[in-house]
Amino acid sequence: MDPAPLPFGERDPDPELGVPVPFACTTSYAEAARAAPSIRQLDHRRVTQCALSRVCGVCGSPLGRPIAFVGSPAEADRNAFHFPPCHLECAQALLDAVAPVDVAVLGQPETVDAWVLTTTAAFEYVRPSLEDADRRPTFEPYEVLTSTR
Amino acid sequence: MAIADVKEYTHLTEEEVEQIGRELDAIRTEIEESRGAADAAYINRLIRIQRGLAAAGRVTLAVGTQSKKTRKPAWVAGAALLGLAKILENMEIGHNVMHGQWDWMNDPEIHSSNWEWDTAQPAEQWKHSHNYVHHQFTNVLGYDNDIGYGILRMAREQKWHPANIGQPVYNAMLATLFQWGVALHDLDIERIRKREKDPKEMKRQLRQILRKGRNQILKDYVVYPALSGRNWKATITANATANLARNLWSYVIIFCGHFPDGAMHFTEEELEDETRSEWYLRQILGAANFEGGPLLHILSGNLGFQIEHHLYPDLPSNRYAEIAVKVRALCDKYDIPYTVGPLHRQYGQALRTIIKLSLPNHMTSSDDPAPPQRSDTANEPSLDRRRKSDEERPPRRVELGAWTRSAGERSHD
Repeated sequence: MDPAPLPFGERDPDPELGVPVPFACTTSYAEAARAAPSIRQLDHRRVTQCALSRVCGVCGSPLGRPIAFVGSPAEADRNAFHFPPCHLECAQALLDAVAPVDVAVLGQPETVDAWVLTTTAAFEYVRPSLEDADRRPTFEPYEVLTSTR
Repeated sequence: MAIADVKEYTHLTEEEVEQIGRELDAIRTEIEESRGAADAAYINRLIRIQRGLAAAGRVTLAVGTQSKKTRKPAWVAGAALLGLAKILENMEIGHNVMHGQWDWMNDPEIHSSNWEWDTAQPAEQWKHSHNYVHHQFTNVLGYDNDIGYGILRMAREQKWHPANIGQPVYNAMLATLFQWGVALHDLDIERIRKREKDPKEMKRQLRQILRKGRNQILKDYVVYPALSGRNWKATITANATANLARNLWSYVIIFCGHFPDGAMHFTEEELEDETRSEWYLRQILGAANFEGGPLLHILSGNLGFQIEHHLYPDLPSNRYAEIAVKVRALCDKYDIPYTVGPLHRQYGQALRTIIKLSLPNHMTSSDDPAPPQRSDTANEPSLDRRRKSDEERPPRRVELGAWTRSAGERSHD
């Protein structure tokens, strides 16, 4: 719970891309103050924190209903997202901000041309197993309510 | 000690550990696929019962205390009903709803995002200190603040300090004032003292705690007593008794989850590159169950199935009993310690640990059970598991919330 939650528009921008850096991409308070924030990678501690504390991956405040996930079409097809759950409004603001960016962001391996926004009431946090090539946890929405591409 | 040592402790090969993970995944899938109307009916019924008990308790106190003839029995009945309602709300309903166990119902009220419980700690801070810190770093020394709640020395690996002599007294205070101790749990007082905490976040958390604490006090010690008219004193004492009963009960249940003999502690190194199977294993080895009938399990939030709760914190609690049968069979099959015993014995062991660890290690003996043996490693040299002296141990981490900081930051402590 450190630092305090901040709306997406008020978060420190990525110095390279000029886009606000969501909560799940930052590290702890003091570390973030030392290093330039980046929207390219996810911070695994923050991802786990969002999953278990049930806070938004964009602003860091408690989740509401429905729960939104953003990701690539491949992630939506697999029903396994890497970016943690968010508020619907935060997810929309995040997608508006990253849509024009033509580099890989939010922990994606490559540039995403068409983002997917999925909503659900519940999700499962899946820790990686030894056999997984990608050793990052994923989020599996339970019963997708809506999916917008 | 690295995670490999834990595997060695339980005499499992890497492949066996992964196979255990697959079998535990299968148990999860089975429950998820059978989760449905009967489970939803269970939690809805329980909430109705809890609210009925609370209402009955409040009405009994407000009305029954008006007559001199019924005052005493009304006080006893009202306090008991209210205490029961608070225990149910905190343990089986609030705790489990906030884990997301019922989110799948998509109910606007019974959802981890919305639930606010009848205790002093704000739900948001509980979801951080418990769901994240405790469940992610279960029994990891220096990370899991539930190991002694920052005031008790609960592991022999923690360095002894003369202040630990007072542990039996601190323990009694913690039990009595448990909801207020929990309310401060996520504040990270040590970082505040060191001025390392984000001031904005500290103020935000303090405001939350003060608001929630004020509302709890107003509810139980001003509003409801006022509704009792001239017998307000009886309502105040009955409400205080109900809160005390809830505090003592929740403290006992929580301390039975990780401190009986057999529940292991871990170190920071064991978290590195941990796979899902290893995480499962750590949950099994770090938790302890207690036995009892269905009513005892409901009143304890099904935390008598602490091992199963730690394996599947977001599966419905009413399914833990059937999960426990399968998990125990799995543990038997792979010769993994499965710590279980009657409630009085589990708490007795936790209390003995509190008292023993108020003294330096050299003055007491360890109560840890011997590790299981595996035939194909029986002739290999055993790991050095002797108890280190206080001089050999790292200093006890007294600060709360160290897990939020990077290794670099922690090195500056």
